[in-house]
Amino acid sequence: MWSWVNIGDAQTRPDTEPNHADQHLDQKWPFRIDVTLRIDALTCIMLTMVTLISSLVAVFSIGYMHADRGYWRFFAYIGLFVFSMTMLVSVSNFMLLFVFWEAVGVCSYLLIGFWYEKPSAAAAGKKAFLVNRVGDFGFMLGIFLIWTTYGTLNYHDTPISEEGPAAVTVGHLGAVAVPGVLGATRIESNDYQGGGIGLAICLLLLLGACGKSAQFPLHVWLPDAMEGPSPVSALIHAATMVTAGVYMIARCTPLFSASSDGQLVVAAVGGFTALFAGLIAMTQFDLKRVLAYSTISQLGYMFLALGTGTLAGISAGMFHLFTHAFFKALLFLGAGSVMHAMGNVIDMRQFGGLRKRMPYTFWTFLIGCVALSGIAPLSGFWSKDAIVASVHSKAHLLEVEWAQRQRGSAEASRSGEEAAGHQVHSASVSTEAGPLMSDAQLARAASGYQWLYYMAMFTGLLTAFYTFRAVYLTFFGPEVIPPEAGGHAHESPPVMVWPLVVLAVFAAAIGLILDQSWLNGTNPFAEFLGKTPSLTGAVAATETLGAFHFTVAAVSMLLALAGLFLATYLYLGDRRAVRALKSLMDFRSLTRMSDAEVLARLGHWRWIQVVDHAAARIGLHWLVSLIGQIVTLLMLVIGAPLLLGRFVSPYRLSYGKFFVDQIYSILIILPLHGFAAVCNAVDRWVVDGTVNLVGRLPRMFGNLMRGMQTGLIQFYALAMVLGVLVLLLAVDQQLSGPISQFLNQFLSGGGGVGP
Amino acid sequence: MNTSHLLIIAVFLPFVGAGLIGVVAPFGRNAVRVTALVVTLLTLACVLVLVAGFPSDGQVGSGFAVTDLSWLGAESALDIRFHIGLDGLGLWMFALSAILMVTSVLVSWEAIKSSESLCYAMLLLLEAGCLGVFVARDIILFYIFFEFTLIPLFFLIGIWGSEQRQYAAWKFFVYTLAGSLLTFLSLLAIVIWNYQTSGRLVFSMPELTAALAASPIQPVGWQLVIFLGLFAGFAIKVPLFPFHTWLPLAHVQAPTAGSVILAGILLKIGTYGFVRFNIAMLPDATAMLMPAMLWLAVLGIIYGALVALAQKDIKRLVAYSSVSHLGYCMLGLFALNRLAVQGGTLQMVNHGISTGALFALVGMLYERYHTREISQLGGLARRVPRLAFFMLVFTFSSIGLPGLNGFAGEFLILIGTFQRAWFDQPAVHPEQLRLISVLAVSGVVLGAWYMLWMVQRVFFGPLREPERVKSEPDIRDLGWRESLALAPLAVLVVWIGLQPGFFLRRMTPALDAASVAATKSLETEYGDGTRNAHVIQPAVAERNAIGGN
Repeated sequence: MWSWVNIGDAQTRPDTEPNHADQHLDQKWPFRIDVTLRIDALTCIMLTMVTLISSLVAVFSIGYMHADRGYWRFFAYIGLFVFSMTMLVSVSNFMLLFVFWEAVGVCSYLLIGFWYEKPSAAAAGKKAFLVNRVGDFGFMLGIFLIWTTYGTLNYHDTPISEEGPAAVTVGHLGAVAVPGVLGATRIESNDYQGGGIGLAICLLLLLGACGKSAQFPLHVWLPDAMEGPSPVSALIHAATMVTAGVYMIARCTPLFSASSDGQLVVAAVGGFTALFAGLIAMTQFDLKRVLAYSTISQLGYMFLALGTGTLAGISAGMFHLFTHAFFKALLFLGAGSVMHAMGNVIDMRQFGGLRKRMPYTFWTFLIGCVALSGIAPLSGFWSKDAIVASVHSKAHLLEVEWAQRQRGSAEASRSGEEAAGHQVHSASVSTEAGPLMSDAQLARAASGYQWLYYMAMFTGLLTAFYTFRAVYLTFFGPEVIPPEAGGHAHESPPVMVWPLVVLAVFAAAIGLILDQSWLNGTNPFAEFLGKTPSLTGAVAATETLGAFHFTVAAVSMLLALAGLFLATYLYLGDRRAVRALKSLMDFRSLTRMSDAEVLARLGHWRWIQVVDHAAARIGLHWLVSLIGQIVTLLMLVIGAPLLLGRFVSPYRLSYGKFFVDQIYSILIILPLHGFAAVCNAVDRWVVDGTVNLVGRLPRMFGNLMRGMQTGLIQFYALAMVLGVLVLLLAVDQQLSGPISQFLNQFLSGGGGVGP
Repeated sequence: MNTSHLLIIAVFLPFVGAGLIGVVAPFGRNAVRVTALVVTLLTLACVLVLVAGFPSDGQVGSGFAVTDLSWLGAESALDIRFHIGLDGLGLWMFALSAILMVTSVLVSWEAIKSSESLCYAMLLLLEAGCLGVFVARDIILFYIFFEFTLIPLFFLIGIWGSEQRQYAAWKFFVYTLAGSLLTFLSLLAIVIWNYQTSGRLVFSMPELTAALAASPIQPVGWQLVIFLGLFAGFAIKVPLFPFHTWLPLAHVQAPTAGSVILAGILLKIGTYGFVRFNIAMLPDATAMLMPAMLWLAVLGIIYGALVALAQKDIKRLVAYSSVSHLGYCMLGLFALNRLAVQGGTLQMVNHGISTGALFALVGMLYERYHTREISQLGGLARRVPRLAFFMLVFTFSSIGLPGLNGFAGEFLILIGTFQRAWFDQPAVHPEQLRLISVLAVSGVVLGAWYMLWMVQRVFFGPLREPERVKSEPDIRDLGWRESLALAPLAVLVVWIGLQPGFFLRRMTPALDAASVAATKSLETEYGDGTRNAHVIQPAVAERNAIGGN
């Protein structure tokens, strides 16, 4: 391939003293970006997934987009996207990773805004791009920090022509090379920066990954991105592009391994996002948005798994990425098929009972849902279970270590060699659980992962619930078809159905095929992934592979089934229970307490009337009314916060997506626009005003010397030039410079002999 | 014909063309504009031949295509010379001037409806001035070209501009002239100081650079004074925040061709001057004032972007985006880091291409709708798809999308600044620099914000057009002429984006030579007397540069 840029490997600065102390970084470390590709197990997995899904989606789109006037434009963008995505997972350099990271982002922008005439689509595209840019802000800084820390942006060891301070002789190349960030040299010696810089690199990269993979707090763009055509949602916003963040973190495992806090943050962001998005997905009515939040939630699972930093965790995360791609693409294409039949209506309240009309779509969608819910033996079960199990064992591992260390430090203090013993002990233990951790870090991590484990379990319940809620709303109940559908409410053509069938087969079977740990303790997927160089080195022997946790699996399976049954109970039938639950969750009865009408009706109660009359008769009327007023006041005081409950009841929080968009718009967007307006005013009146004022000064001065004011611009120009000359001559005279000499010579008639 | 002759021809062909236009003026409008087009194309051909012949590693020794003739006569004490030549620093701006001129002739084709012959003559004179500035190697010659560019543009704005054209033209002229007079004084001061020390009265820029880099002006106070004098002219020209207020006004009032040239080339004369004179000739002052310059640059980046966000007029928006982007250039140049300086110089070219093209597009939009108000337009992607396509390409280029040219410059600038702030030792004012290096990256978000906001409002959503008089022709998409005006720029956008190394290689040595003294001064804490221990002799520098590869 060619060099994107190559600054300073052969070129040296002109410097007469080569040994001078101020060597430049660029002299030691050439900034050289070669377009190099690398393929290893991780890339293989991503490539397989990307190319397979994109071919199926392309076939589906032939049917889906057939009547669209932007048909050719659509496929042009898709082609560009597939190129960028395959390059993204294949390049061997952080800068090129960023290049294609942005390239897939721009494809996403173009495809979300594909129907640009819809204002919502155009706005969603812009939003996606900008939110991603916020992530890129972090990603760019992360790349810069990697550059200043490691002196190269290449993953691989890069041979260079001369030996310099940063270059070492690399054995397997047999040549002088700059050790790559993820190259064999660095991995073998585990030469990674920990501490503050290591943590900063992790967090900055994580910010980038959060943008692309729609993790909290940068998740807001993905639900809006559903404005794009459904195949785009399936390909880009479910299966491939949004997993780029997961890929990047998996790729950078050695960097994350160097910072246990960084790993914990990754896991926490993932676990929290999984739960958060799951809660939102429960109440949405837009089928594609339910799926979008589900995607965010599942990506959260992947982050959680990667955050464990163990080989089991990483392979579980990548495994979930792989299986999720199939069943989520399937679900989105199924939703697209429904939309296609329903005349682009996607609100689940406007259709229902479609299972008879669209049998293929229904059955394939159902398979996808079972897989997503994590019900054995479909693929989602295996991968999700692997994630939960890896978090569980990580927490367990840390707890054991924590206990050991406490025991160890107690012993050490008893034997009197406190400091030395402690150090030795912690060092020896920490080799088992990755990076060296302080006591505080260890305690924090142990409890953190434990909590994340519970969160992940609970999210499993939510997942099954919202998934089957969507199925029941769409395909069960009385048949409802929106008027927009016209006469087209029928099964989609074969060109759209076949991809669904193929994906359904994959979604059903790959889990069983690729994870056989329950059967014979082998796990082909994890073993294959473990061959990735950056994983073998950095996470070596953190945990034995293939241990299948029957207890964990059983619990998560039970929870999933519980979610399924809850959804069945609530949504299959007359749905009265749903309304009751909804009003309960909306604090309806509580908010009623502060209602003025309710209070007024209270005063007309018979018993109160009776008491009132009795009191009036014995002259205590005032006391009763006082008590009444106090009670009313109390109820209002108690009720007032509950009034707030109208807005922040669990139901409303979930339905309103926790108001993140509104919070951003109030806290960030509006102030920024306001500030922009202020800047504009300042620019107009203050900055330009000052300039105009200064510009007017000469005229004011001139007014004093009105006699000289001829109004001719030439006069002013002449005066200016003369002034300059006078000044110049003055300076010249002062320094006895060339002009005065010249003049002297000229005046004395000598002329022409230069100094 | 050797390259020196070709360079002279390239610079003077537009002068001749301007005269020729006077000759063909009686033959009507078509004759005039075809003549102008042919002259600019011929000039472009000369320039391209020159660029193609430029050494690919940028090692030009004492210069490329140099012509050095005595002007006032060799026996005169004032040995001002006609001394021109190409080097890596000016190379791409020189080439871009020739390209953008063709574009501006093409965009003026229908837009100029009164006294065409004068207008095209002015354009050609402007071209001669622009080409001359980037090849001048004599201080006085440089200054002549530098000021000469003002005059045609003054008339272009004042005669063919919009409603407030006279006010805009005067403001532009007086403001920039006031600054550049101080610049002139400072240039003379440099010459005189050199005369004081070496006893030779030299106006040659390469010689002065070498001399002043080896033994900078002492005491440093004088350097600071001269720096500020140069700053007055160049900062207004760039324009650096807060000296930018003439720019939006001039842009909005100028005819399209004027805006294209102004944004594409004239602003870069300011940044070019900073590299040529401030950085190269005043190393200690540059090192001392570096934090201040970086602050101005980064404030410009953020402030320009914010003000752009508040604009209602597309042209003003693009004008303020220039303030922001020129902030990037200045940031890169004054970060005094090898990557950043290269990025800053590349970004000068990038900004010229993308913003020049954006102004051309805004002009085309205005020709169709007679408005530039964002609120009056909407959904034009359906009505003028080709225009929308070009707009999107140049918008992406402007917001620094990887794979396009803006990214190449921005990335180098930002990574270089970051490196200067966090790694290079000894860092001066490290906290400030670190803050700057992070703040600068935030411009990436803001830049995307206002541009995409504008694109969304104008090109996407439901169709919204101002009401038109019936007699006017229907709105049509870009024709051949307009597409041809933009296509070369689009090609360059992609080419620089995919292969910035091709462009950087040719300018690396020149930039290294220009910034080495200032970098050294920064790293030895403003040349505290230890400098003489490692004086950089120009001859040695040159020899190293040649033998280094």
